[in-house]
Amino acid sequence: MFGIFKELIVSSGLVSLTGGNLIMWLVAFTLLYLAVKKQYEPLLLLPIAFGILVVNLPLTFLMEPEHGLIWFFYHYGIENDIIPPLIFLGLGAMIDFGPLIANPKTLLLGAGAQVGLYVTFFAAILFGFDLREAASIAIIGGADGPTTIYLTSKLAPQLLGATAVSAYAYMALVPIIQPPMMKLLTSDHERKIVMSKLRPVSRLQKICFPIISAMTIMLLVPASAPLISMLMMGNLFKESGVVERLTKASSNELMNIVTIFLGLSIGATMTASTFLDPRVLFIFFLGLFAFVVSTASGLLMAKFMNLFLKNKINPLIGAAGVSAVPMAARCVHKVGSEANRRNYLLMHAMGPNVAGVIGTVVAAAILLKNLG
Amino acid sequence: MHSMTDWSKVLEVFGSGIVGVYLVMILLQLLTQLSTRIIDMVENGKTSGDAAPQPPGTDVKGKV
Amino acid sequence: MPELLAPIAGNVWKILIAVGDTVELDDEVIILEALKMETPIYCDDSGTITEIRVKEGDAVNEGDVLVVIG
Repeated sequence: MFGIFKELIVSSGLVSLTGGNLIMWLVAFTLLYLAVKKQYEPLLLLPIAFGILVVNLPLTFLMEPEHGLIWFFYHYGIENDIIPPLIFLGLGAMIDFGPLIANPKTLLLGAGAQVGLYVTFFAAILFGFDLREAASIAIIGGADGPTTIYLTSKLAPQLLGATAVSAYAYMALVPIIQPPMMKLLTSDHERKIVMSKLRPVSRLQKICFPIISAMTIMLLVPASAPLISMLMMGNLFKESGVVERLTKASSNELMNIVTIFLGLSIGATMTASTFLDPRVLFIFFLGLFAFVVSTASGLLMAKFMNLFLKNKINPLIGAAGVSAVPMAARCVHKVGSEANRRNYLLMHAMGPNVAGVIGTVVAAAILLKNLG
Repeated sequence: MHSMTDWSKVLEVFGSGIVGVYLVMILLQLLTQLSTRIIDMVENGKTSGDAAPQPPGTDVKGKV
Repeated sequence: MPELLAPIAGNVWKILIAVGDTVELDDEVIILEALKMETPIYCDDSGTITEIRVKEGDAVNEGDVLVVIG
């Protein structure tokens, strides 16, 4: 009788628990709290948090190569670059490029915000990260989860958990991170600028846009192909209006399915031994830095464009050039309406916002080409 | 950790990245503007051309 | 007769006035919902509401008439 008990305890995970595991449980509980109670990106943080929790239960071997359940999800989904492009397919099927087509100048704002990403790349190297790690950290400033995961899994897979969590966490915190920078870099007068109504965009234009941009971007930067091709096909599904079933499948069912595997696998990469590294704190710091600098460079780009434009744009919309769709656009709208309650910037900010998605992918592809 | 950072490589990545992103986005802007202009011309041409005979006019609206 | 137009596309979330109400300039009249964000729409004129052209839950486009003020 006693022997059976002893056997049960020795074979249980309890005796193999380490202090690191306990700390990771705390991390998991914190993320669970943020997801459930605060609703910060719950669709991702919840599976991530649960992944962290289960992978830090000893002897479960869920991430054991060739054996563990979650390892298979991770290996086939993320190591083989299947899931991030599938998320982009769904994203494409949801995005409306209309405001961007109506005001193509906002593409430049999407580029402007990426400058912050390269500044962070520089900063990360000064912090002692190697080039590939620095690129994976810098891409957090693009405020785009799938792209961050895509690039990190190729350049610095050991950092995957930290970069993914900080990208998603800061995206949820956009309404807190961005406004101070927006107010610092713009005058009250600039924030009050009301932009002229967007021109209507015909269905034909909306159908042509994903085709033209897919060809242009992939011809110029072939390394962007996996993400851009899926994004633009999803958008073509939506705008063509003839394959509603595929549009719905991409943006709902498929997207939800892969989100589960994405979150769980990312969480499961965070074992105590990989995550409890003082460098992770630097990554969280640099990720925040990346968000702030990207916001600033987007705003400055908008102000720079205003030097040449007859029809002034409201420089706040430059801050939406970090992707974070649609959180950044909402944030611009809020700050704009605080300055002038009749200022409705939401749709104007959606242009740079979706341009930011394209810009981040292009930036990631160029980093991948140079460092991969 | 600081052992040997290849600063020329860093500068290359930094420079080519910024230039590359701007290049792609500017080109995309020009092409979007161009396509908008062409589509405007095609659509306006069609509707004004079809203004006289009625049935094709409604047909165009249904298509575009 | 002055009309209040929708400044952005979205869904009508709440209507805060009824036909016959007197409104002042800058009164909150309608709350639109776009991208999961509530956007209050303010009155451009003072007067009496003579007609409400939308109901709660309607989808409106930019430039659609929301209410008519007499």
